[in-house]
Amino acid sequence: MKQPSTAVEVVNLRKFYGSHQVLFDVNLTVAGGEKIVICGPSGSGKSTLIRCLNKLEDHQSGTIRVLGTELNDEIDNINEVRREVGMVFQHFNLFPHLTVLENCVLAPMLVRKQDRKTAEARAMTYLERVKIPQKAGAYPGELSGGQQQRVAIARALCMKPEIMLFDEPTSALDPEMISEVLEVMTELAQDGMTMLCVTHEMGFARKVADRVVFMDKGSIVEEAPPSEFFDNPRHERSKAFLSQILGH
Amino acid sequence: MKAETTLTDIELPPTQQAKFIPDLRRDYFSTTGRSLVTLVCLALIAYLVWSFIDWALLRSVWAGTPEDCHKASGACWAVVTDRYRLILFGLYPYEEQWRSALACLAILATVVLSCIPLFWSARLLPIIWLAGYGTFYYLMKGGIFGLPIILETQWGGLALTTFVFSSTFVIGMPLAIILALLRRSKLPVISSLTALFIDGVRSLPLLSILFTAAIILPFALPDFLVGDKLYRVILGSALFFAVYQAEILRSGIQSLPAGQEEAAAALGLNYWQTISRIILPQAFRLALPPTINQVVIAFMETSLIVILGFFEVTASGNAAFTAGGWNSFFAEVYFFVALIYFTFTFSLSRYGAYLERSLKVSSR
Ligand SMILES: Nc1ncnc2c1ncn2[C@@H]1O[C@H](COP(=O)(O)OP(=O)(O)OP(=O)(O)O)[C@@H](O)[C@H]1O
Ligand SMILES: [Mg+2]
Repeated sequence: MKQPSTAVEVVNLRKFYGSHQVLFDVNLTVAGGEKIVICGPSGSGKSTLIRCLNKLEDHQSGTIRVLGTELNDEIDNINEVRREVGMVFQHFNLFPHLTVLENCVLAPMLVRKQDRKTAEARAMTYLERVKIPQKAGAYPGELSGGQQQRVAIARALCMKPEIMLFDEPTSALDPEMISEVLEVMTELAQDGMTMLCVTHEMGFARKVADRVVFMDKGSIVEEAPPSEFFDNPRHERSKAFLSQILGH
Repeated sequence: MKAETTLTDIELPPTQQAKFIPDLRRDYFSTTGRSLVTLVCLALIAYLVWSFIDWALLRSVWAGTPEDCHKASGACWAVVTDRYRLILFGLYPYEEQWRSALACLAILATVVLSCIPLFWSARLLPIIWLAGYGTFYYLMKGGIFGLPIILETQWGGLALTTFVFSSTFVIGMPLAIILALLRRSKLPVISSLTALFIDGVRSLPLLSILFTAAIILPFALPDFLVGDKLYRVILGSALFFAVYQAEILRSGIQSLPAGQEEAAAALGLNYWQTISRIILPQAFRLALPPTINQVVIAFMETSLIVILGFFEVTASGNAAFTAGGWNSFFAEVYFFVALIYFTFTFSLSRYGAYLERSLKVSSR
């Protein structure tokens, strides 16, 4: 397994929707094994930034390098990058017509060309890791939100990615289900996965993150280790944001 | 009457088997007026059913000559028992009609097999279709294994109807998928040209398309491309089916959440893997009721080809009573033909209901 020292390198990234600019010269470097938490007010461009990292969104200028491959328009096979970059969405996005197990083995079989037996065995180990092996034969519609999100994490892990992206994985969940998902994510972090998480779960950020990246209005305003960021924010906007989400 | 009863229905707990009789009493006999209407309707229905049974069964003639039928006052099923081979096989030579029957079965088997979800794979379906159509074609046309050649112009009856219908479906459905996908293309030229094409064909009546295919196309095409009129007409009818079905599929695709395609992309699936494993299976489920509807319509519209001189089952029904002195017994023949159509379309819609139920289970 290759583990380049730099997992993600973003330089002067600008992103427009039509004429509306949503990212302004974003620079970010993530080392292999690092855990980054991205936070910031709604509409600040957090989702847009991490969706650029697996080219779900195209960018207009600047460079993005993921695992040493530059994502530009000439890239031959974006799927070679995507299979190394797992993604977990706010609304889970499981495939409702497939069972949990089928959700997990689909991409390994189609993209990694594993045979069904290997893929299923591996899927079961990941389903055990997210503590839901008993639901392997169920359809996503039969699971709770927390269970669906844990399956979504297992589905991404089945591809054995180098990097995991999370876009507000707990914000569509009922409060009592948030902790079961965070627990899985924490274990994943302890196993050394490179992670970029957009989340407002500050307890998680404190415990797991190597760095917190605070975004506002399309720019990175502050970037600091969690202890520094939470106890000693340097920017007015970070302070305002923190007092807002921690205040109540 | 119905409007009054619905209000009371709503307040009641869900219907149970045991409440059938009391419900019946409440809904149909609660007042004198209501009982009267119920009784009159019942009497009318009983009278109609009795008249039909009397005509169709009690006073009917099941075998014999037109003269036997004229003597009796009931239904003359003798015309059907006497001429059924004409109705089923048209002008296909009498001694060779077993071939037409077998060919018909081959097509039916193909259709039934393609209806079973187990066989829904891009590898199996083409094999089934090739085998089914190959069998049909060589049985009907002959020319191998010492079977005499019988030209398409002599094909007729039920075999022709099932052939035209199932070919319309087998050619039309993949075409519909392609059109629906092209219409969603990210390249504006392709998507707008496809849209123009779909809307263009949809604004033409089927009859004009069939006429064009049968009569005008031979003048416009180089000779080697013309082929038999039958195949041109099938292509025309498949095209007509495809443009409607493409729109049905597109609406199914559009009602899928964008997250489905994104999740597939994030996992590294390529375009075709995403389309065939994620998008189409879900779009077909969503679009199932209108799809079944469209298929039933396509089946019934096969009767239009009679206008182009094809001897499909309605036309061969006509021929069955216009000769041999059976002239006055057209009702019986039409009844028989209607029964054939009913059997087909009813099984199709039951199959649709079954699919809907079984697919709902897997995507609650
Ligand atoms: N598909 C789109 N078309 C046009 N504008 C978009 C699109 N997606 C996002 N935007 C705009 O881009 C900006 C950044 O959006 P983004 O979704 O990245 O914010 P976010 O930080 O993830 O917010 P949230 O916390 O609400 O998820 C917003 O102003 C949004 O309106
Ligand atoms: Mg977002």
